[in-house]
Amino acid sequence: MRLRAEYSVGPDLKFLANLDMMHLMERTLRRARIPYLLSEGFNPHIRMSMGTILPVGLWGEKEYFDLELQSMSASEFMAAMNSALPPGMHINICREIPAGTPSLMKVVNAADYAFMIKKNDLEIGDITNRILDQGEILVQSRGKNKKQQKDLRPGIFGIVVEPQGEVEVISVQVSVNEPLNIRFDEILDVFVINGISKELMLDFWRRGNYIKKGDNFYSPMEVK
Amino acid sequence: MKDRLFRDILPLVSKPARYAGGELNMIKKDWEQSQMKMVFAFPDVYEIGMSHIGSKILYGLVNDKSRHLMERTFAPWPDMEELMREKEIPLYSLESFTPLNSFDVVGFSLQYELSITNVLNMLDLGGIPVWAKERQENDPLVIAGGPVVFNPEPFAEFFDAFLIGEGEELILEFLDCLQQNQELDRKSRLMKAASIEGVYIPSLYTVEYKQDKTIQIMRPECPEAPAKVSKRLVRDLDKSYFPEKPIVPYMEIVHDRAVLEVMRGCQRACRFCHAGTVYRPVREKSVEVLKRQAESQLHNTGYDEVSLASLSTLDYSGVNQLVKDLVKTYGERGVGVSLPSLRVDAFSIDLANEVQKVRKTTLTLAPEAGTQRLRDVINKNISEEDLFKAVEAAFGSGWNSVKLYFMMGLPTETEADLDGILELLTRVKSIGGRLSRRSVEVRASLACFVPKAHTPFQWRAQASIAELDEKRSYLKSRKIKNVKLSFHDSQTSMLEGVLARGDRKLAEVIYQAWQKGCKFDGWSEYFKFKQWMESFSDCQIDPAFYVERQRAYAELFPWDFIDTGINKSYLCEQNELASTGLPTPDCRQAGCVGCGICPGFEVNLDLKEEGQNALASRI
Repeated sequence: MRLRAEYSVGPDLKFLANLDMMHLMERTLRRARIPYLLSEGFNPHIRMSMGTILPVGLWGEKEYFDLELQSMSASEFMAAMNSALPPGMHINICREIPAGTPSLMKVVNAADYAFMIKKNDLEIGDITNRILDQGEILVQSRGKNKKQQKDLRPGIFGIVVEPQGEVEVISVQVSVNEPLNIRFDEILDVFVINGISKELMLDFWRRGNYIKKGDNFYSPMEVK
Repeated sequence: MKDRLFRDILPLVSKPARYAGGELNMIKKDWEQSQMKMVFAFPDVYEIGMSHIGSKILYGLVNDKSRHLMERTFAPWPDMEELMREKEIPLYSLESFTPLNSFDVVGFSLQYELSITNVLNMLDLGGIPVWAKERQENDPLVIAGGPVVFNPEPFAEFFDAFLIGEGEELILEFLDCLQQNQELDRKSRLMKAASIEGVYIPSLYTVEYKQDKTIQIMRPECPEAPAKVSKRLVRDLDKSYFPEKPIVPYMEIVHDRAVLEVMRGCQRACRFCHAGTVYRPVREKSVEVLKRQAESQLHNTGYDEVSLASLSTLDYSGVNQLVKDLVKTYGERGVGVSLPSLRVDAFSIDLANEVQKVRKTTLTLAPEAGTQRLRDVINKNISEEDLFKAVEAAFGSGWNSVKLYFMMGLPTETEADLDGILELLTRVKSIGGRLSRRSVEVRASLACFVPKAHTPFQWRAQASIAELDEKRSYLKSRKIKNVKLSFHDSQTSMLEGVLARGDRKLAEVIYQAWQKGCKFDGWSEYFKFKQWMESFSDCQIDPAFYVERQRAYAELFPWDFIDTGINKSYLCEQNELASTGLPTPDCRQAGCVGCGICPGFEVNLDLKEEGQNALASRI
C-alpha cells in the first residue's frame, strides 16, 4: 500500500539539510518498526519519497512524504511514528492513497512562506501592496543561472499581512517547482529591496505546500 | 543565548547543525539537581567527535549511572569561531548552552597529538585560562584522557589532571572524589584526586634535566602523588557499561552507524602499534551480550548499519557466529553489518562476503610493509601468500575495489622494501585483471611511520622530512598504471613525532604556535608548518632532538612514570628482535610471550567464545 503523510518540523530543527531530513525520517521508520518496503537491487533502500524539501534555515508547518509499506492502518502508522520522532517533529495527518497517484514532486506547485517582523515604523501593508502593484519584480536568481535576473511577479499569488500582538507576520504565496520556482531567499531579497531590512526579521518558516489548479489551492492530502 | 544563536549566528555559518544540539537521545540533566557538572570536550569538529565510541560510553555512563552531569562541546570550525569572537559568544555546551567556564570540570578527549592547539583554542573561547597555573579557584578543573595521554608530558602545563587508561573505570571515582571534597581549595582537591589509581596531577611533580637535555629525574612533590601512575583497565568487558541509547546526530557524521565494541586490546604485537601495546590485554565481549546490545542500539537509533569495532575485529573469537546471527536477524530489514578492518587472509574474505550480502564496499587491507623481511621487522605476521589469496578471494567473489595501507620510514627500511610495495601492488592489480570482469580499482595509502611512546620502537629515530620526501618521490617516479598512491604529509608526521615522544619543555612551543594562529593542525588546509617551526626557534628548541635522535636504552623517558603494564625489558627485547628480523607470535596461540600485563595487573586474556568455531577459524 501507499501512504501519504503531512508532518511538521519545529524551529529547533530548521538547520537540517534535505539529506539529514531524509535520514531522520528513515531512522524514525526503523525505530517505529514500520513495515516499509525496500527497493530491489544492489543497494536496497526504503521506498519513501520526500515530496517537499525545506530550505536550510526554515522550519515548516506542513511538509509531505509518500511511503510504500505492507499493510498498516493510517492511525497505527501515525501513533507509531509520533512516538518515535524526535522532539519538534510531528505527523499531523496521514492517509492511504491510490497506487497510481502522481508523485508529490510532480504536483506540488505552490508554497506559503511566513516572515515574522518585529515592531517598526514602516507601513508594511503599503509596502506589500506596492510590491504587488509592480508589473515586474526583478531579482538576481538564487537558484540555477545565478547570474541572471529573474522576474518573480508571475509567481507571486498573494501577500497578506497579519498583526500578531507585538509583531507582524507577512505571508507570501508563491509558485514552486515548474515552471517558475520562487525561492524563499529571493522573496527576502524583494523585501530588502523594498525597504524591509533583514534586521527586522525575527523568524521565517514555510506554512504549507499546495497543489494549485486555476485559482484554487488544494492540500496534497486531498487526493481522489 | 540559544535564541540569539538560532536567530543571528547559526544562519550565517557552514553546517549549523554542528552547533545546535537537541539530537535524538541527548541527555539534558537538571543543572541544580546534579552534583559535579562536567563538559566533555572533543578538540575536533562535531562530526568527528560524535563518531568516537569512547565519548558515547562516558556520556552515557556519567549521565545514566551517577548523579553528576555530562554535557558536550566540540571545536567550532573557523567560520563559527570568527563569529563567536566577533559577537562575544563563549564556547558553550550543546545540552544547556552553558559557557565552558561555568562547569566544574572540562574533560578533553585526546585522540591525536596535533589536536592540542584546538584544546588551547577551545579553553580560550570558553573563557578559561589556557595555562593550568593561571587558573583561579572558580575556574573549572581541566582534565584529559585518551590514547595520547599515555605520554601526557608535552601537554602537562595546560591540564590540572590526566586520567590514564580506560575512562569508564575511572571517571565516576574521580568525580565522586571532587564532590566529596568540595569544601577544599583547588590544590587540595587535586591532591586528594592524586591518590586515585590512574589519576596523574602534573603540578605535583618536578622534572630535572641533564646537560644533554634528557631527563635526570622526575619526582612527586607530595606523598599523595605516586611515583608511578598505573593505567586503569576494565576487567570484564561484558560487565562494563555500554550505552543503550546513544545520541543520533541530525547531520551526517564520519561513522554514521550503530557501533558495537566486540573486544578491547589486541595481541598481535605489531611493534609499531601504540594501541596494541597500551590497551593490553585482549578482553572480549560474549556474543550474547553483543546481540543484546545490537538490538537496543538499533532499536533506539534507527540506524541502517551496525559496525563491529575493535583493534582487530576478525580476531574476535565469536566473530563468525555474531556476524551470521546479525545478518540473519537484521538483513531482511535492510540493516547491514560492517567490519572496519580486515585481516589479510581468505577467511576474512569469506566472512566479508557474508557481511556484504546486504552491501558491498571497498575492501581494505593493511600489509603495512612491502617485503616479508620488513614485515618480520615490524612483526606484522602476514605472508605474501595469505595476502594474494585474500585478494584472489575478494576479486573472485565480486569485489572490484581494494585499498592497501603501507608505511614509509619503518626501521631498517631500504629501497628494496619500497620496490616491494610497488611489486605487491602490481601483483594485486594483475590478480584483479585476471579474476574480475570489470576493471578493478587498486589504491594505496602511504603513511609516514611515527615511533610512539611505550612501543618497542620508542628508542628508534624517526625518518626525517627529507628522507620521507625522498622515499615519496622514489615511489611516485615509478608509477603503476591505474594504481593510485596517496601520501601522508611528512611535515605533519614530524610534528606528530615530536609531540608523541616529547617532554614538558614543549609547552611553550605549543602555546606560541597557537598564538601564531595554529589550530586544526590535523586538517591539511589549516596546518601551518611555518608557524610551528618559528615557534620552535623562538623557544630555542630543536625538533630533531625529539624525532631524529636514536635513544639509548638507559635514557629515562618523559613517559616512563606511566605504567601500562608492559615491562620495559619486554619492549627492549622486542626492539632487539626487530633488528634481527625475528617475529613474535600471537600469545593467544603460542602462549605467553612475557609482556608483563597479565601478572602485573592481575588480569587475564579474556576470550569469551573459545568454541569449535573459533578454533577452526584460526587454523
